[in-house]
Amino acid sequence: MYMYILKRLGLALLVAFTVSAISFSLLFMAGDPAIAIAGENASAEDIQMVNDRYGFDRPIVIQYFEWLGKAATGDLGNSWYFDLPVSDLIADRLGVTMLLGLLGMSFALLLAIPMGVAAAVKPNSLIDRASLFISVVGQAIPSFWFGLILIVVFSIKLGLVPASGSTSWKHFILPTIVLGYYATPAIMRLTRAGMLEVLSADYIRTARAKGLSARKIMFKHALRNAIIPVISLAAVQMGFMLGGSIVVESIFALHGAGFLAWESISRNDLPTMQALILIFSMFYIFFTFLADILNAWMDPRLRIA
Amino acid sequence: MKISKLVLSTAVYLALSAVSYADKASDTVNMAFLKELESADVYFNTAREGLLLNHSVWDGLLYRNPETGEYEGNLAESWTWINDTTIEFKLRQGVKFHNGEPFNADDVVYTVNFVANKDNGVKSQTNVSWMDHAEKIDDYTVRIVADAPFPAAEEFLAGPVAMYPNEYYAEVGPKGMAAHPVGTGPFKITELEPGKHFVLEKNDDYFGGPKGMAKVSKIDIRTIPDMNTQIAEFFNGTLDFLWNIPADQAEKLGAMGKFDVVNAPAIRVGYITMDAAGRFDKEGPMTKKKVRQAIYHAIDRKAIVEALVKGSSTVIDSACSPVQFACAQDLPTYDYDPAKAKALLAEAGYPDGFTIDFYAYRDRPYAEAMMGFLNEVGIKTNFSYLQYAALREKRAKGEVPISFQTWGSYSIADASAITSEFFTGGDWDDARDPEIMEWLTTADKSTDKAVRKDLYKKALTKIVDEAYWVPLFTYNVNYAMSKEMDFKATPDELVRFFTFGWK
Amino acid sequence: MSDTSLTSASAKKPDAVSKKGKTPAHQLSPRAKMLRRALRHKGLLFGLFVMSIIVIVAIFAPLIATHDPYAQSLLARMKPPAFMGGTWEHPLGTDALGRDYLARLVYGARISLLIGLIAATISACIGTFMGVMAGYFGGRIDLLVTFFINVRLAMPVVLVALAVVALFGGSLYVVVSVLGLLLWDRFAVVMRAATMQVRKLEYVAAAQVLGASLPRVLFKDILPNVMNHLIVIFTLEMAHAIILEAALSFLGLGVQPPTPSWGLMISEGKEMLLFESWLITIPGVALFFLVLSINMLGDGIRDVTAPEGRN
Repeated sequence: MYMYILKRLGLALLVAFTVSAISFSLLFMAGDPAIAIAGENASAEDIQMVNDRYGFDRPIVIQYFEWLGKAATGDLGNSWYFDLPVSDLIADRLGVTMLLGLLGMSFALLLAIPMGVAAAVKPNSLIDRASLFISVVGQAIPSFWFGLILIVVFSIKLGLVPASGSTSWKHFILPTIVLGYYATPAIMRLTRAGMLEVLSADYIRTARAKGLSARKIMFKHALRNAIIPVISLAAVQMGFMLGGSIVVESIFALHGAGFLAWESISRNDLPTMQALILIFSMFYIFFTFLADILNAWMDPRLRIA
Repeated sequence: MKISKLVLSTAVYLALSAVSYADKASDTVNMAFLKELESADVYFNTAREGLLLNHSVWDGLLYRNPETGEYEGNLAESWTWINDTTIEFKLRQGVKFHNGEPFNADDVVYTVNFVANKDNGVKSQTNVSWMDHAEKIDDYTVRIVADAPFPAAEEFLAGPVAMYPNEYYAEVGPKGMAAHPVGTGPFKITELEPGKHFVLEKNDDYFGGPKGMAKVSKIDIRTIPDMNTQIAEFFNGTLDFLWNIPADQAEKLGAMGKFDVVNAPAIRVGYITMDAAGRFDKEGPMTKKKVRQAIYHAIDRKAIVEALVKGSSTVIDSACSPVQFACAQDLPTYDYDPAKAKALLAEAGYPDGFTIDFYAYRDRPYAEAMMGFLNEVGIKTNFSYLQYAALREKRAKGEVPISFQTWGSYSIADASAITSEFFTGGDWDDARDPEIMEWLTTADKSTDKAVRKDLYKKALTKIVDEAYWVPLFTYNVNYAMSKEMDFKATPDELVRFFTFGWK
Repeated sequence: MSDTSLTSASAKKPDAVSKKGKTPAHQLSPRAKMLRRALRHKGLLFGLFVMSIIVIVAIFAPLIATHDPYAQSLLARMKPPAFMGGTWEHPLGTDALGRDYLARLVYGARISLLIGLIAATISACIGTFMGVMAGYFGGRIDLLVTFFINVRLAMPVVLVALAVVALFGGSLYVVVSVLGLLLWDRFAVVMRAATMQVRKLEYVAAAQVLGASLPRVLFKDILPNVMNHLIVIFTLEMAHAIILEAALSFLGLGVQPPTPSWGLMISEGKEMLLFESWLITIPGVALFFLVLSINMLGDGIRDVTAPEGRN
């Protein structure tokens, strides 16, 4: 088991390293960062000065390893825009994104698992159709549109919740729904499919034949087995969601890491962009790693690999 | 990563807190910025948002009365030009910074010498690089010495050049100032989360001066990047004041009758610049005067202003804003005349038109409308909508044949802030006309107002004659506020928080 | 070799719409059985129906549109659609530059379909190539490909796409290429697994022994066996690309105007969301139905071609 964990960990680190190298070279390929630092109203003189200060003319490989070396010690450099340490900026904003991710995932799980189970128990019933409807709509509705509609209905028309900001729990209701809905279809489908498979399995039939109560079969045996792949999917989706919260954060004015990433892109704030891409990919890697370990723990056959 | 901080911030967000509805009763104005301000230190941002804070939290030596356009003493009580490059100021006595530090000549000397030193990396070099240094004469007398004769000095000293407390700034530097700003102004910043949230409270010990005391006790500024969300908050009463609202939305807000919507002219102008010098393509169509004139004729600037820009905007033919000094308005012009444009194109050797890359970085609908007009006379366009920085770089390298640009002149009411920036042979000079360069450099060094006016007019006339630019229109700003609020818009795009009040 | 991360991330388990046929199915040929299932699959039929309408509209755009989608009229801006009090001159009204909205919508169908098709095709080529190589050769090549799939999955798609488009300037080509280069992972995962499976089959082994070249094995033995998987993923990725383009456009970094893409129309209509909501609703609904129909088509094809996955 330890060997297995160690191997996965090594692979995860290698992946993180490659992602950072690719994104670093990508970002630095695109033109003169000095203009970006100087800002919209800067004159030629201002820009020259910035160029003198930072020295962007060195080879990209040197710049990359310099950055990597510092990143390893936790120093992600200074934001070109705010002129503050990137690590402080991100620490300040990651909280809201992680909270949003957790809330969104909880919302998705609470909606998707019961509906998926219910749909599998009674295929073609009303609830099966409703869950199918929710999942196909969820796949097709653009989240920015959904978010703005929710604001119009629940904030302006009904006045139930605030439209933007992050100062109270009420502020998180709409963003949670929008972000959570994004992850719902996949989880719901997987739950339903998993349940269908398990329910037709021999051991469930045996249990039925032995006269165990339907409820007991459902929760003690079927759900427990069907849920295993769902957990690992949820872990992976979690990684995706943290990266995908850009649109949601920008609409609801949540100053999270996703929004910071988007703003940094429009401001050409390369150190911040670079750090955020690294951190988002680390999240993904962490959650898939977690899912792997979880799976291996639950299904010992995988450990040998 | 600071884990404790992370946990803390998460916990804070989880904590319950009531939504604050602000209004006349709570004496708080809630408003929003569309973009995150990079630094609250006025010398280390180039944003309009920063300029707003500058004017309400700090003071300059001078003040420009927005109604009369005259300069008045602010932190200085009086000033005299000793010679072409030196001004002497008598400072106001008894003024205190927000941290209790008294204001005197040392503060002026420290501030000026700090910002004028290139090594300190002030972001808007144009605002400060004209100053060479400052000298203390006595505790309340100080001289500022310019590098070269600089007629616009008063404008800069009344605008972006804010006075900092020397002891505090020496101790904390730009980063400390950005985290905990200290000025002399009518408001002090009492709460600040970088880029996200600013709370300004009335400075009860303010010396008054030409700005006068603040009339509301608190201003709460959040950053809300989506205008729709801002308007939603405005509808809900959680924002009291909106600014920079796009024309169509402002019109609809006004039509609702529930709010006061005010339009004011802005100093920013829009223009089309063309590769007349042939940096992009030596033989390209843009190097031909007739083609440039055809483009001038092809675009219905009046229709764009009336349908899209709206408000108090006007069509211009000057390569500067009408409110700026020496920006002559009695210039030649080209009417909207697509037939004539086609004829000119044919004369220039393009009877069937041509295809060209058209660039822009803001106001996409305006750019689209312009391209629509160009298409009508046979000029096909490939549109590139770039980030400001990217377009700016491309233009500096001479890789842009034609682009829609704007310039806000740092709110400086002098034609040198735009015309000289773009026509004196720098990286952004697409015309590179030696005669214009000569006139402008002479004008910028002259302190004789009549001479300057005359030279600028010559330059501006030639710009139109040669159609180096197609000057388009002046911009405008829309503000919306709750009916309880009292705010008078000025033509310089500055929201002076100290003029906020209640009806 | 465990690759739970890959399969769980990418494979959406079949969403079975179980229906038991009532006529004795064993009398029919496999092809006829499939057809029969298809005709009974409501989701598939619905998807096919909506999709065909959109494709027909896109093909015959010049016949449907009564106006030039690029012709602006600043005097006739934001005229409401006919059903909201406008005139039939502009059945769906006009946009912020006075361009006919119906014309832009039908020409926009071309662009959105094109983006989806080309991006998915690029992805399919890259993913298939990598997947087949990994599955066919195994060993180190497999390790390498798996590693690349992991790297690709760890890159935040929206962020990277945004950054690239922001830095290199947006155009149809840039957007399509970026999306195409980013969405190949699912193809690779599935092709890899499928190739491995097929390779184990005896006839492929036999073909290998007989010295058949890789392309030959690929086209004759592997592709026909996994075609249905490929088609399903193709539809999923096509929908994915279309939605992503809309999101990029929403953030101002998609296809360049005046090209009438639906994502761009949504982004341009966004400004007036609170006042003229039809400007965003019309392209929004169109986009919704396009993505919906592609997804339902994909699901349907999976159900029909791989009935064993249903229960």
